[in-house]
Amino acid sequence: MPDVILQNLPFLMRGLAATLQIAAVTAVGGTLLGLAVGVAVYLRLPLLAASLRIYIEFVRGTPLLVMLFICYFAFPALLGYRTTAEQATILGFILFIGAYIAEDVRSGLRSIKPGLAQAALATGLTCFQAMRLIVIPLALRRIVPSLFNQYVRLLKFTSVASVIGVQEFTGSAMLVNARVFAPVTMLAFVALTYLVLCLLLSMVGRVLHAHLAV
Amino acid sequence: MSYRFDWGPIWEARALILDGLVTTVLLSTSALVLASIIGLVVGTAASSRRLGLRIGAGAIVELTRNVPLLIHMYIWYIGLAFLRLPPFWCGVLGLAIYSGAYVAEIVRGGIASVPVGQGKAALATGLTPVQALFFVVYPQALRIVAPSLANVFSQLIKDSSLASVIAVMELTYEASAIEGQSFRTFEIYITICALYLLLVTMVTLALRFLPGEQENISGLGLAGA
Amino acid sequence: MPDPIIVLKDVSKSYGATPVLRRCSTTVARGEVVVVCGPSGSGKSTLIKCINGLEPYGTGSIKVEGIEVGAKATNLPRLRTRIGMVFQHFELYPHMTALENIVLAQVHALRRTRKEAQARARRLLDRVGLASKADARPANLSGGQQQRIAIARALALDPQAMLFDEPTSALDPEMITEVLDVLVSLAREGMTMMVVTHEMGFARRVAHRIIFMDQGEIVEDTPTETFFTAPASERAKLFLSKILSH
Repeated sequence: MPDVILQNLPFLMRGLAATLQIAAVTAVGGTLLGLAVGVAVYLRLPLLAASLRIYIEFVRGTPLLVMLFICYFAFPALLGYRTTAEQATILGFILFIGAYIAEDVRSGLRSIKPGLAQAALATGLTCFQAMRLIVIPLALRRIVPSLFNQYVRLLKFTSVASVIGVQEFTGSAMLVNARVFAPVTMLAFVALTYLVLCLLLSMVGRVLHAHLAV
Repeated sequence: MSYRFDWGPIWEARALILDGLVTTVLLSTSALVLASIIGLVVGTAASSRRLGLRIGAGAIVELTRNVPLLIHMYIWYIGLAFLRLPPFWCGVLGLAIYSGAYVAEIVRGGIASVPVGQGKAALATGLTPVQALFFVVYPQALRIVAPSLANVFSQLIKDSSLASVIAVMELTYEASAIEGQSFRTFEIYITICALYLLLVTMVTLALRFLPGEQENISGLGLAGA
Repeated sequence: MPDPIIVLKDVSKSYGATPVLRRCSTTVARGEVVVVCGPSGSGKSTLIKCINGLEPYGTGSIKVEGIEVGAKATNLPRLRTRIGMVFQHFELYPHMTALENIVLAQVHALRRTRKEAQARARRLLDRVGLASKADARPANLSGGQQQRIAIARALALDPQAMLFDEPTSALDPEMITEVLDVLVSLAREGMTMMVVTHEMGFARRVAHRIIFMDQGEIVEDTPTETFFTAPASERAKLFLSKILSH
């Protein structure tokens, strides 16, 4: 490994840890949000479903960077609260990826044939139980590939957080570069690291999907 | 809510916003054309019968799309700074190569969905392989992949906002500048969200009116009416 | 009639302007086996899905053990544990083993302990001849095996009556017998059953009564022998001549 990287390795690794932490927290948060929104839209809950559709369409039409600016500058100004770049990033990513995951969840739910839910109801399960025990688990298994696609996107997105000043991996690398000026080496190192992490994550998704396939 | 809406400063900055919008359109269009060319070449190579080409194309796709777009832009802007490319072209190249990988995947899938016999039949009538691709295989594949293509292209338009980071004065860049001067935070971001939505909708609609859609209409029984 | 379990009175239903059920009335007594037949699209499946509330009905009344199915206050999940249902396409949960399929509702609807439910499930698997398949997934089972497990899943709740919606029509011919054998033995044990089927041999052998439906109407509701030897309506005669000719 080149010297510039070795010498700054602890600093870079702290950045990488921040990246992984943001990705993990927002993946979990975004999945929970997407699940709740997707189920609500699928069930056509009155009023709620309509406003959630607006949320989904709004986010899916908005660039990620603009979403971050909205969470960092616009929401605090509008609602009168203070936020840090980290908090805004986490909120922005969760809101952003949650909308995409909600669409995946909804189409996953729609792909489960109604006969299965009917069978569950026919054995005396309540609607809620039929959703929780049969329909949602089946839908989630089916959308594992698209979920992991979203997680990979999320991992790549984290680099954008550096734009609003979050000290994650890309930001740390650019800081080091500003000091040592070795742009080719630094960028190659950063690109390679993301590449390996993303490929690993996709692989986990594929293994999980094969394992859960029914 | 204590926030008071004031759209005045946004209206006053309309010339800047329009400038940004034009740059975003130019940036996206250039990247879109380039990404389509890259995607077509790499995607076709990925569908080749030659193992070497397939592996090479697959490697390029994985290598490209698993690196964040921001890094792609930094590579041209900072990494290859000695080329002295203007920021606009750094943005175009980063965006085109990154999105090209996604287009390539779609092209590969589209070609795979066209029955092999179609290409063979075209060759049998004396067309060259390139003619067979352009006259027989691509047109059929395009109809199938149009929706996914629309997705990638609208993603590309939204992704173009990242070019603001490397000082391309497109929509998001101008929005930040206006926000910094006027502090009309919410108004300006809502405005550019609406503009992005407009662009994305236009691309989606454009791809919906591709050749081949008439068949669906006749399928609904309207053709005979 | 002694001890009626299912009582239908003037049940009508329509999808928009299309009527699917027209003033259907009948009664099924405890221990009775009733076969429902008729041309496709005659409303047979809709009728039996109305009985456990899987399909809403427009007007009329359906009572199961004296409880009105369509009433707002009715606890449908509870009522459904009292009547088992078997579907044309089995509808086993693909992400669970055969055993788990049978255990699920026992635990979640009847609040049995898992141990109790598993013991009951194993006994039922044994009864339908599939004790060795307890840990198999539906995807690895034949259609006939899946349908027998679906029957066990319904029986596990100790229902007072069983509804069968064309239980053999999605099966390859060589598997029909293994499923019908289970139905016959259930009938012999005195289970109350309502079976939508085209299997006329089965109907003749075990049914006490035949309900013949056409265009949403109950055209005939007669003892089995009468139906096969002297059907009253032209429509039933036509149906029988078509279905018995091959």
